[in-house]
Amino acid sequence: MMIWSGFLDGLRRVVSAIMDVVATPVLIYFLVINTLLLVLMGLAGWEFVHQGRRKSYAGREQTAASQLGQGVSVVVPAYNEEVVIVTSVQALLALRFGRHEVVVVDDGSTDATFEVLRGAFDLVPVQREIPSDVTTLGTIIDVHVPRDGRTRLVLVRKENSGRSDSINVGINAALEPLVVFIDADSILEPDALISVTKPFADDPTRVVAAGGVIRAINGCKVVDGRMVEVKLGKTWLVRIQVVEYLRAFMLGRSGWSRFGALILISGAFGMFRRDVLVEVGGLDPDSIGEDFELVMRIHRHMIRDHRDYRVQFVAEPVSWTEVPVTAKVLRSQRSRWHRGLWETLWKYRGMLLNPRYGKVGLVALPYYWVFELIAPVLEFVGFVLVALGFALGVVNTTYALMFMAVAYGYATLVTLVAMAIEELSFHKYPRWHDLGAILLASVLENLGYRQATAWWRLEGWWASLRGEKPVWGTMTRQGFDDDSPAVAALNGDQAMNASSRDV
Amino acid sequence: MNVGQTFLTVGVALGLACASAVAVIVIAKLRRVRVGARAKAMLAPHRGALIVMASGEDEDGQALAALCAVPAPIWARLRSGVVAFLPKVRGVPAEDLGGLMRSHGEIDEARRMLTSRSAVGRARAAYLLGLVRDVDSVALVVTLLSDPAADVRMVAARALGTIGDPSAASGILQALRTSHGHIGLPAWVAAEALLAMGTEVGPALELGLTSSDPAVRNVCAVVAGHGTYFTAAPQLRILLVTDSDADVRASAAVALGRVGGAGDAALLARYAEASETTVLRRTCAAALGELGHRESLETLTGLLGDRDRRLAQLAADSLVRFGSDGIARLQEAAGTTTPGPNARAAGSALELAGLRGQLVSVPGS
Repeated sequence: MMIWSGFLDGLRRVVSAIMDVVATPVLIYFLVINTLLLVLMGLAGWEFVHQGRRKSYAGREQTAASQLGQGVSVVVPAYNEEVVIVTSVQALLALRFGRHEVVVVDDGSTDATFEVLRGAFDLVPVQREIPSDVTTLGTIIDVHVPRDGRTRLVLVRKENSGRSDSINVGINAALEPLVVFIDADSILEPDALISVTKPFADDPTRVVAAGGVIRAINGCKVVDGRMVEVKLGKTWLVRIQVVEYLRAFMLGRSGWSRFGALILISGAFGMFRRDVLVEVGGLDPDSIGEDFELVMRIHRHMIRDHRDYRVQFVAEPVSWTEVPVTAKVLRSQRSRWHRGLWETLWKYRGMLLNPRYGKVGLVALPYYWVFELIAPVLEFVGFVLVALGFALGVVNTTYALMFMAVAYGYATLVTLVAMAIEELSFHKYPRWHDLGAILLASVLENLGYRQATAWWRLEGWWASLRGEKPVWGTMTRQGFDDDSPAVAALNGDQAMNASSRDV
Repeated sequence: MNVGQTFLTVGVALGLACASAVAVIVIAKLRRVRVGARAKAMLAPHRGALIVMASGEDEDGQALAALCAVPAPIWARLRSGVVAFLPKVRGVPAEDLGGLMRSHGEIDEARRMLTSRSAVGRARAAYLLGLVRDVDSVALVVTLLSDPAADVRMVAARALGTIGDPSAASGILQALRTSHGHIGLPAWVAAEALLAMGTEVGPALELGLTSSDPAVRNVCAVVAGHGTYFTAAPQLRILLVTDSDADVRASAAVALGRVGGAGDAALLARYAEASETTVLRRTCAAALGELGHRESLETLTGLLGDRDRRLAQLAADSLVRFGSDGIARLQEAAGTTTPGPNARAAGSALELAGLRGQLVSVPGS
């Protein structure tokens, strides 16, 4: 009893001493990270106002009808996508754009992906050669095109070698100067290609890459591959992710784009100049954060080459995709994202604080190191310390609650500001019920979700540090044409040679 | 103030800020719903007339007369609907909608706004004047081609293309130049505007082909090709052979494929050789197919086995464009007993040609 009591006293002193030291820095860290997010949102809001005012004279009709503008190859990597692939390809072929082709790369699917495509589009094999502009791993089995010889669809079948390698094969097969990567389960707005090619059309010599906004499709009504009604998902896990996507992806990336230091374009919807992709060698099939890694490589390549270039983000809603509906899938996703973040930041550590890389090296990368990579460590340690402090009775309860209220209250304010910007700009959720749920989700996010994702992110980082084999997950689709289509179940953790999707 | 009080104060301030953000969201939504409903109700009686006009069915002019007479508050809401229709209609409906805009003073207002301090105002004004094809405003819109705002320059160029007055051609070519930190017009915007102006831009193009600015030469070469300006061929040959800019040479090659003569086959073949850049070789291979002179058959057949497989595909596609002679060459290459790269490129092109029905008229296919 004496020993236990002595141990507790000692533990109290240690926890108390640690809290005395870290409490203020952690609070300051919270304040700084949220203030920076507010600054990014301010930049994003400015960008939205600018884009909104331009919309009336942006010349969408001319861009859509242009024959001299740059054409687009839509590359769709597909692995076991039999449920959604036909609807997806039909919708992609029907996109409003002057000149585009669809290149589906079947990454050794073991289901009926190929058969359903062949049946739906009357595909026939051709001897078409796929150039090796970008080095690829998987052996190409055959190439199919529609029997009419005119529908701009190409199906390349290859042995399974992963999503990144499939995209590289798609880059090689692409005939148009712009290449966009799309996941088979994503739904694009009819004008998505017009929106996302706009930066290339306005500044064709400098813009080398552009990312588009991705939103959660869960709960939305989709008919024949078209979004017909935007609704919020039924579970709080999905609703919180909707809030998170708005804050971090839409507003955060718009802010970075406005600032001129966008370093991450989502792999689920990114457009690139094909010649630049070939120059940098396409996606790295060994990278688990392949989208981030690609954009970093492009930045490094262009800066080292002393080229005037731009990487931009298009805030207009363009792509809708499924988000995880179970904690297990979410855990796998967040773990993978953070691992990819760490491995890419480490790979490009030479650019950090290097004036040669301008805003990317001096602002964006330090931000990602300090406020993206390290954030889960501080968040988790802070949470554990407060819990311990409560348990041991070494913290003043009122003081601790106020501390938490300020820290999380500020985070909630940031989210609400993001919601306000969304409501003033795109207001995609028309139902009052959804709006209320989103507002509530922005509060609930702080009660468990943040802590859980912080832990999962740490798991990913730790797995990388221990040299564990990277793991992707695969999603089982339930099809688009359903009131709640976005049900995704993880088929267990798959080996890394399985294709995957990511946001 | 102790730490506890500070936290309390900050907490209250955050709470108030959060409540304000929620209020903004709710008020914005309420306002949008109300404004939308009010606008819908106000426009409902006029929607039919607008659709009748835009579809060209207003033969007796009643719809136009009715819409010309709507009071200012209703017009303020109807205006955006009219502007949205304008880029989608041609002929009489476009003229009628332009007349409607004019009757409400929009054209005069747009002309005034061309000198607005706001770049958005200038761009909107130029856009509108382009939409209604207001020839009288050309001189005013041309001045916006040197506007400090890139957006305004681009909208002005498009507007001038839509109006179609060739007197603006030299202004558009000037706007291609990058100077004083201003990026020039995107090439495709300038090229489409010039093409929309018709054949009368010929003299400006020929002058542009000798410009010291590669962006200007490039666009002129593109327009010369797409607009089939045969008189530009001599200068295009010079550009292909001597120009220091790779884009200009490629554009000249494309254009020569469209407007060149028999002598240009040898020239294009020369630049499809292995010593040239990949882009130029591919461009010339495609241009040879466009040109369609028999003496290119040998060159294109030789390219089927090239290490650059995209070039080989383009050469094979060009041979298909030749018709029976080219297809015969492909069949010969595809039928070789030792399958190699030549056979693969030829076979692939033949398969696609077959699917497209391009082999029907070829004997033996």
